[in-house]
Amino acid sequence: MNQTTAPAIELIGLRHSFGSVDALRGVDLTIGTGEIFGFLGHNGAGKTTAMNILTTLIAPTSGQAKVCGFDTVTQRASVTGLIGYLPSDVRLYAHLTAAENLEFFARLSGVTNPGKAALETLAYLNCSELADLRLGTFSTGMRQRVGIAQAILHRPEVLFLDEPTSGLDPMGVRQLRETIQRLNGDLGMTVFMNTHLLSEVARVCTTIGVLNQGELIYHDTLDATMARFPDEATLEDIYVRVGSA
Amino acid sequence: MIVTFTRNRLRIMHRQGVTAGTVCVMAALTMLAGLLGWASQRTIVGVYDESVKLLAQRGLPAPPNPFLLKPQLSMLSNMSIYVTMIGALVAVIAGHLAVADDHSTGTGRLVFSRPVHRQAYATAVITAPAVLLGLAMAISALLSAVAFTAVNKAVPSAGDVARLVGFALLSWVYLWLFAVVGSLMLLATRRRSLGLLTAIGVWLVVTFAVPQFTSGLRPSQSLNPIVDPVSSSQTFFKVTQRARPWSIAEQFKEASGRILQTAPTETAVHTIGRVAPIVMALVIVAGLFSLVIARHDYARSMTDD
Repeated sequence: MNQTTAPAIELIGLRHSFGSVDALRGVDLTIGTGEIFGFLGHNGAGKTTAMNILTTLIAPTSGQAKVCGFDTVTQRASVTGLIGYLPSDVRLYAHLTAAENLEFFARLSGVTNPGKAALETLAYLNCSELADLRLGTFSTGMRQRVGIAQAILHRPEVLFLDEPTSGLDPMGVRQLRETIQRLNGDLGMTVFMNTHLLSEVARVCTTIGVLNQGELIYHDTLDATMARFPDEATLEDIYVRVGSA
Repeated sequence: MIVTFTRNRLRIMHRQGVTAGTVCVMAALTMLAGLLGWASQRTIVGVYDESVKLLAQRGLPAPPNPFLLKPQLSMLSNMSIYVTMIGALVAVIAGHLAVADDHSTGTGRLVFSRPVHRQAYATAVITAPAVLLGLAMAISALLSAVAFTAVNKAVPSAGDVARLVGFALLSWVYLWLFAVVGSLMLLATRRRSLGLLTAIGVWLVVTFAVPQFTSGLRPSQSLNPIVDPVSSSQTFFKVTQRARPWSIAEQFKEASGRILQTAPTETAVHTIGRVAPIVMALVIVAGLFSLVIARHDYARSMTDD
């Protein structure tokens, strides 16, 4: 396959088991380039497992996961060069400053001028004032902004966010939403987001998928979803209906 | 990549105070060894001088100064015990802290979602504490030379300097081994407190339990820098004595004794033979650590207990 024309993300019969527990049971999913995808599901539905496979942290038991046409197992180096990742509870290195943290991760990603990239990324996220402060002194919101900075330092094609609004206050949630939209609009990043916050999904995502007990039970664009369920007032109502069906 | 990782580790350990702590502990131990060496020499020489005066008054010949019969480096003999008792524990903590952040804060997930080779990471995690311990032992060797000069009122000869450097290198390898044990146990147990306790358990076994089997040394006897194994008449201990060459704490003490000239002299080949099990243990533990890193699941949440 020509990787330049490949979908941003492709899951083909993806399965993963932890011992006797099946976390993913043959998930098929395609996400196009430039989409903001909201991955919904109950706790334990398998969302984080799917993200761990897509970010190459674990290998699937069977099936395939591809990012921009590259297999996450056999072409790991290519995949990791194209993705940015923000885990749900990341704390970074508390004893280093924001700039030092970012510089380190920029070096790992092979960025040519790590120091400059770190400062430019902080400036892009309107948080240059954090550069020389140590992470250990940061609030959850400040840490989350630096976390996003480390994820986009190297201008990845696909950005993975795992519960990015977790622990943020309403202002932080709004800032995060605006950031995601800017990253998607300015830099053309495809965003894959695991979340429980349906109101944010309704505001920011272009496509949604619902995972239930390791199976993908729903996948469509947000507009088509809202049109398909005219009797439901909110995405939350739709989610409950899809989940109960 | 290895340089990037190592530099980052060293920077974090510096900020955590691990570098200053390790250097201060090793410097304090060296000064303590020097102080004890000086105090014992002063006391004995004082008694000797009084004895010489009394003997002269009675018209009797004076025996030679006991300190002139002893190698001058023997004043630092306690260092071989400090390294195995306290230095190794400090090394375990340094090794533990070298991987603790990536383990408990989730930064390992960020590292390995990038184009990073696990072996480069493993090499860096092993290298960073080695650099730190190397610095501590270099400062310790320097202080030893200063203490030697102060006590003996003479600068150390080239041979003495070589012996001091040799002892520092041997101690560095020994401490490095325990630093890797500290790192390995954290990853193997997946819990910070359990990892640290297990590594300390390994230190206890190596330092106290194994010598008890291989030489009949009781724990309190292990605190003595003098190499004088107690022979056992029991059949069981006669069998376990055969493992003595693999008792690395004893081999360290024996090799240190030869280097610092507090034990009977032997050929350099014999002394190198005593060091070999320590180097082999380091290679084995480092290999195990690389294997654990290669298989470690950084996606799973770690226990920050």
